[in-house]
Amino acid sequence: MPRSIDVVLAVAGKDIRAELRSRTALLTALVFAALVLVIFNFARDPTAVSAATLAPSVLWVTFALAAMVAMNRAFTVERENGALDGMLLAPIPREAVFLGKLLANLAFVGAVELVTLPLFTLFFNVSVWSILPGLLAVMALATIGFVAVGTIFSAMAVRTRFAELLLPVLLLPFMVPPLIGAVQTTTRLLADRPLSEMVGWLRLLTLYDIVFVTLCTLTFSSVVDE
Amino acid sequence: MSAPEIPTLRPERLIRRGLWLSGVGFLGLILVYVLALTYAPVEARQGLAQKIFYVHVPAAWSTLLAFSLVGIASATYLWLEDRRLDRFAAASAEVGVVFGGVMLTTGPIWAKPIWGTWWTWDARLTLTLFLFFLFVGYLALRAAVQDPEERARFSAVVGILGMLLVPFIHLSVYLFRTLHPQPIVLKPSAPSLPPEMLRTLLVSTLVFTVLYLGFVTARYGLALEQELREQGPDAA
Amino acid sequence: MLPEPPHNGGYLVAAYIVATIILLGYWLRLLRLARRSR
Repeated sequence: MPRSIDVVLAVAGKDIRAELRSRTALLTALVFAALVLVIFNFARDPTAVSAATLAPSVLWVTFALAAMVAMNRAFTVERENGALDGMLLAPIPREAVFLGKLLANLAFVGAVELVTLPLFTLFFNVSVWSILPGLLAVMALATIGFVAVGTIFSAMAVRTRFAELLLPVLLLPFMVPPLIGAVQTTTRLLADRPLSEMVGWLRLLTLYDIVFVTLCTLTFSSVVDE
Repeated sequence: MSAPEIPTLRPERLIRRGLWLSGVGFLGLILVYVLALTYAPVEARQGLAQKIFYVHVPAAWSTLLAFSLVGIASATYLWLEDRRLDRFAAASAEVGVVFGGVMLTTGPIWAKPIWGTWWTWDARLTLTLFLFFLFVGYLALRAAVQDPEERARFSAVVGILGMLLVPFIHLSVYLFRTLHPQPIVLKPSAPSLPPEMLRTLLVSTLVFTVLYLGFVTARYGLALEQELREQGPDAA
Repeated sequence: MLPEPPHNGGYLVAAYIVATIILLGYWLRLLRLARRSR
């Protein structure tokens, strides 16, 4: 029986390579994120609310929606060619399979976020250079939260008839705590507030990640095994 | 493939008992209305609308009870794989939607005269909204999965995750509000309740618990009956 | 002389009616489901 860490990396590597080879999903997700940003620009009255006030919310709603769209397709391809079932026939630990999928999804969603970020700064005239380390840290923490629950729910939803509708309905309530934490922290980062004001939210984000990554890893076998 | 279970109670009896119990609950509800209108005093600042409290708060209790039991049943199901737990969780989720609906309607009706606005993102209403969405998501998932065993497993996972989400929602709302204190014109249910109010509230909570138990029992019985019918005459 | 409490009894009636309708409605649904299978 292979070591768990090897399984994790193997599963993640396989998924990431498959994504890099086709690239269509990645590009489509990027276009989606860009379009969402554009919609937000037209969905507000520029005289009433300044771009700076709305910026953190816009950024994070865009990230959340893009993450959901990206994860929706995460299991679909595999399901179509039965690759997941084949992999599960082998006596490999389910927790490792989940973590591998989690890493692959993180890479995918992370890539979308990293490309969307410069677009965001362009469209909303916001400078993020000075706060980049902090912003990247928040992005990492919140995205882990999104992707952990999103991965397990998409594993479930893909086996149902209304996967595209079901995943958002299930997932959105779970995206709220990381979303709130991310928006609050980003707002303070952009306003150059001291770290002490953000610590509470960062703790919330971290705790959320620890709890849900653990929980989803442990319950994954109940989703994929009979 | 597990052997068909022998039900310990025939579904018809469960349904009948559940309906009777909730019927008794409705009699209790009439009593609650009478007590609220005649026995409990009128609150000076809030007026008559304050008495919505005697329905809204116990409904909140029932919703939370329903939700917690879904979570506990889900966790226990993954451990014991007893289909009765899954059946109970489904029943509790549906009943939870009903009480959640009562909360989400009486809440704004109470908020409007007291706080001047139909909706406010205060901790209680926000949390109820989330519970409502979690229930709905749970039931939507159940409707979308055909195989009963798979449905039970998936629902259990969502049940557990949902149960653990609640403290995070609570924490997020709390952190959010301590930084953005909303102006509150009047705080409902001051800590020191006059005894008549407290007694009425307790009676109402009891009544709502009875309603919950009656509803869940009947719903469980109906689910069991349907399952047995689907298994056909060759069951057991 | 204490100020009179606000006249908002209408809201109270509305809330009690809505709550009762929801609860009773669910009970009737259960009843109908039970009867249908007889």
